[in-house]
Parts: sequence; C-alpha cells; structure tokens
Amino acid sequence: MRTVWLASYPKSGNTWLRMLIANLSAKDDKPVDINDLPEGGGIASARVPFDRLLLIDSGLLTHDEIDCLRPRVYEELARGTQDDEYDEVEAPPAVRFVKVHDAYTLTPKAEPLLAGARGAAAAVVIVRDPRDVAPSLANHNGGSVDDAIAFMADEDAAFSAKPGRQHNQLRQQLPAWSGHVASWLDQKDIPVHLVRYEDLQVDTAGTLRAVLAFVGQPASEDEIRRAVAFAGFARLQEQEREKGFREAPRPWAGGNFFRRGTAGGWRDELSAEQVARIETSHAPMMRRLGYELATTAALARAG
Amino acid sequence: MRAGGGALLEFNEVDVHFYRVAGLAVASEIELPGAIAAAPQAGAPDIAVRSGRVPAALEQASARGATWEIAGDKFLFRVPDVARFLLGGGREITFEAAPGVEAGDISIFLLGTVLGILLHQRGQIVLHASAVRVNDKAVLFCGPSGAGKSTLAAALAQRGFPLVADDFCAVTVSGAGAVMVQPDGRNLKLWAQAIQKLDLAERRGARVRNRLEKFFVEPAAVFTEPLPLGTVYALREARPPHKPAIERPNVVDAALILRRTAYRPALVNRMGQKADYFRAATAIANAAGIFHLTRAFNFESMPELVAQLERHWLDVGLTERAA
Repeated sequence: MRTVWLASYPKSGNTWLRMLIANLSAKDDKPVDINDLPEGGGIASARVPFDRLLLIDSGLLTHDEIDCLRPRVYEELARGTQDDEYDEVEAPPAVRFVKVHDAYTLTPKAEPLLAGARGAAAAVVIVRDPRDVAPSLANHNGGSVDDAIAFMADEDAAFSAKPGRQHNQLRQQLPAWSGHVASWLDQKDIPVHLVRYEDLQVDTAGTLRAVLAFVGQPASEDEIRRAVAFAGFARLQEQEREKGFREAPRPWAGGNFFRRGTAGGWRDELSAEQVARIETSHAPMMRRLGYELATTAALARAG
Repeated sequence: MRAGGGALLEFNEVDVHFYRVAGLAVASEIELPGAIAAAPQAGAPDIAVRSGRVPAALEQASARGATWEIAGDKFLFRVPDVARFLLGGGREITFEAAPGVEAGDISIFLLGTVLGILLHQRGQIVLHASAVRVNDKAVLFCGPSGAGKSTLAAALAQRGFPLVADDFCAVTVSGAGAVMVQPDGRNLKLWAQAIQKLDLAERRGARVRNRLEKFFVEPAAVFTEPLPLGTVYALREARPPHKPAIERPNVVDAALILRRTAYRPALVNRMGQKADYFRAATAIANAAGIFHLTRAFNFESMPELVAQLERHWLDVGLTERAA
C-alpha cells in the first residue's frame, strides 16, 4: 500500500478530484454517494485517528503539542495500522489517497508535520487561480470576499485554531495562499505532481489519467470515462441539492459546497480593486503557476 | 525503582491522597484535581499511584504503538515532554515526569488515558461516555473526543440530573446479566466557549492545564453510588444524510456502537478483551435501550435537545408523567 497526499489550499478542487478517483470504482453503474466517501481517516487533520493511535486525548494538548506528535500518526497509518483494531482488517488498497489542507510545514521539533517520506510516497498538489479561490472561500466561510482575501494573505492564518473550544479537526496552518502552495511545491521530501483546477476542468479525463499514471494506479479508458461522467460538477451539485453534503461547512443553510465550479468566474464576482489586492499579494506564485495577471501594478511588482 | 518488590501498594510517604475513581479506591502520591476525594484508608488501595523511575521502553513487548507498549501485565504509556507512565497488573501506576513539568500536567493524563488503560488492564468494560442519573438509572452519552459528551452532561446537570461520570464510564455485568454503571462523578472538563454558552461561569474552577482554555466545572449535582444502566445514546452530529432525531438502530448497528465506544478501541483487541466486550454489548443491548441521538452541533439548540431527551425518557418509561 502506498499513501499519496491529495494536497491543496481549501476550495481548490481537492474534493472534486477525490470524487473523480472514488468514481473510478463505482459499482452497479451508479455514481458513488457523495456522503459515502471515507471521511474519518480521509483527511490528514482528522482528530479521531490521532486519539485512537496515540491513546492521548488531543483535547488535552495545545496545537503545538499536537503538531509535535502528528508525524507519529502518519507514520503508523502509512504502515497500514488501522485506527480501529477491533474489527477485522480489510485488504488495504494499492494506493491510499488522503486529503490534506495543511501547508507542508515543520513541527516545533523541526521535523515534517506530515512525516516526510515515512508519511507518504508522493503528493498530488492541486492549485486553483486565487482569484477564483477567494469568492469560493467566502462562500465556504459564510463571510465576505474581502475577509477571504485578507485570510489568503495572512501568514498566520489557520483552520480549526480558535482557542477556548474543541474543533472537529486538528489545526491546519494555511500560511497565506502563496506560502501554502510554495510549501508543497518546494519541499524535497516526496515527489509532487501538480494539477491545476483549470486543467482539470478543460480536460478532466486527461488530467485524471495523468494523476493515475503518476501514482502508479492506471485505470481503463472506460473507468475514466465513467468517473468523469459520474463526478461531473453538475452531477455533484445535483447530489448536494438532493441530499446535502456532509463535508459542507456548518450551517448548511448557508451556501453550497459545490458552488460554481467555474474557472475565471472572478471576472464577474470581484471588483477591480479586489483583483488588484489578490494580485499584489500573490503575483510571483500566480506567474509561476501560469495565472495571467490583470493589473499592471501587480505586473510591475512581479517583474 | 520503588515500584518493585513485595510491598507494591504501601506508601512510606506522609502525603498520600485518597480518591474514589470508577468505584475503586485510589491512593496517590500526587494530588489528582478533579477526582472525588475519599477518606484516608488503612488497608491496601485498589490502585496505587507513585512517582519513580520508568523505563523508556519495555523488553519483549508483545504489542506497541508510537506512544505505548505492552509486555505481559505491564503497560508503558508515554506522553512526550510530559511524563512516562508504567501500569502494572491493573493495580499500580508509576510515573516519571519530564524535566520542568508541573504536577497538574501529569494528573490530568493520569485521570484520563492512564486510569482508562488501567481499567482495561483490570478486565473492566470502559466506555467512552458521560453519564447522568435519571430517576434511579444511569443514562449514558457515548462518542469520541469532541462529540459533545461533557457539554450535554453539563446542560443536563443544570436541569437537575446529577452527573454520574464524565469522559469514561466503567460498566460491570453480573452473571445474571445485570448492568451497573460505576459512578465517577468527577468535575466536568469544559472549554471556555461551552462555559460561556451554558452560563456556567460561576461553577468554573481551575484550568485543566494551565496552557489550555479548558476548565474544571463543578456540576450542579453529582451522584456517587453505582446505578443500573438505563439508556445509551450514541451522539451523532446532524450532517447530511443524518437528520436530527432519536432513533433505535438495528441490532447489528447497536452492537457495533457499543464496540466502537470502548474507551480505547485499539486496546480491546490488544488486551484480549474482545469476548468480554461482545458479552457486555449483548447484556447492555438486553438491559437498556441503545439509540442514536442525532442533533445539530451548536449551543443554541441545547434547551430544545434537553427537552427532547426528557420527552424520550417519558416515552421509554425512565420517568413518569406527573399526576
């Protein structure tokens, strides 16, 4: 069994790619239920595997203390340890995909939070134009686009990090959009395959095929065609409309998880000033990823 | 190493603190804030806690994880940068603190995982649950860390249902299949947010650890005698596709709930308790109703949830309608 991180900043297509992969093995010629995806162990920041494998109540530890111990959890899981040993162990999949939103950081003890090559064999890093991430993140957080832009520029930003309460998940450090992407692309511990959300949209089958080739789990053309059909954005939206999506943020009365699924939607969602603010913060990384800048001010700065 | 030799359960020190945890007499060299204090005992306690040298690893361990090892009747548990704990035969706990660690940091882990493992060692059934007293029965709320067990128990204690146990719940099954819950009505441990939302500031005690915004809270009422098990609720968040409801799962799912709700599921298998838990699950399913309690995960709906539970207790006959 090989562990592969599906790593991305939030709202960048991670769940969509997971849905595509899950639908490669759809049974009975029916799309996989969006609420049936493995979830507990399905995201690196899940709390239960930490408590179960280490026997330590994470609710009694600080975020930094938890971070110091997280590498031990990923090493064990990568070795195939089940977090619930009570039941018979199922045959492990050849490739174990695990979603992760944490940046690729070092713990306070200066080891990789995600345990480097002992935690996973490789990473598929999914990126999306930050100008499209901002409105999607605003919808996800139930906040304003301006707040989302500020969050994406904040070097100290994190999910599940408020003091005085227990979050559903462990803290995920998101040290600005550019910093997050750079942390994954520039780490040297494990090989990376870069996927742009925009490419996944233009050529879903081809992009999926390349991901599968990278992780060494090829699929037949039939399987790929079916996965693309079953996990098309409209089909996912339809499922969410019908029964809701358990991974949507609370309260679900707010927005939908699967919102627009467009590339370039920012052109009619952001003001020129908002676009300029994003580009000023992230121009170098946007250029590196091939996202064309719209504002000259940012262009000058990036030059 | 003091924890060797024949007089394992004797203390030479003047300062010994006595407590009652999960129905067992505990004598400890260090204070255990949050535990129910007991009168000093002359005889040997059920469990002795003392400081001493603890090895970094056990020889010939039969099972190990990143933070623990099992060898025979010894269990080594490490909380890095806090302390190492050696548990022997379900009777003695030796701890060795890391340099510069405060006593409070050790006691909080002692009262949690360490005693939980020790109860597993004693062959007891330990559920990850909080419990309150309803009439003359114990009602259990099960779920992993963060499921809202303590918060719900705190809200019910405010409504006049005494706290019986928080976080872990020792259960005994008699030969005849009667299921008793051992009281452990210690203080609740609540985050600052829950204390504020439930208006419990006046009951707030010391911090659980001085670096956490989590506090001991003295419940409005506690009950400290064993109680027959009434109803078991598995807490579940109302997220699609699950809607808010109290539902009775089918028999297979009910057994699964109880197995999964073991205090530390990984240890059930490793410590050879699988058959015990299976037998207990059957006894509990026969003796008490097992339900899924699916509810919105917010404080605003807490009064409604408490009212819903009170209606359910009438329905299942735990309480009677006032004449």
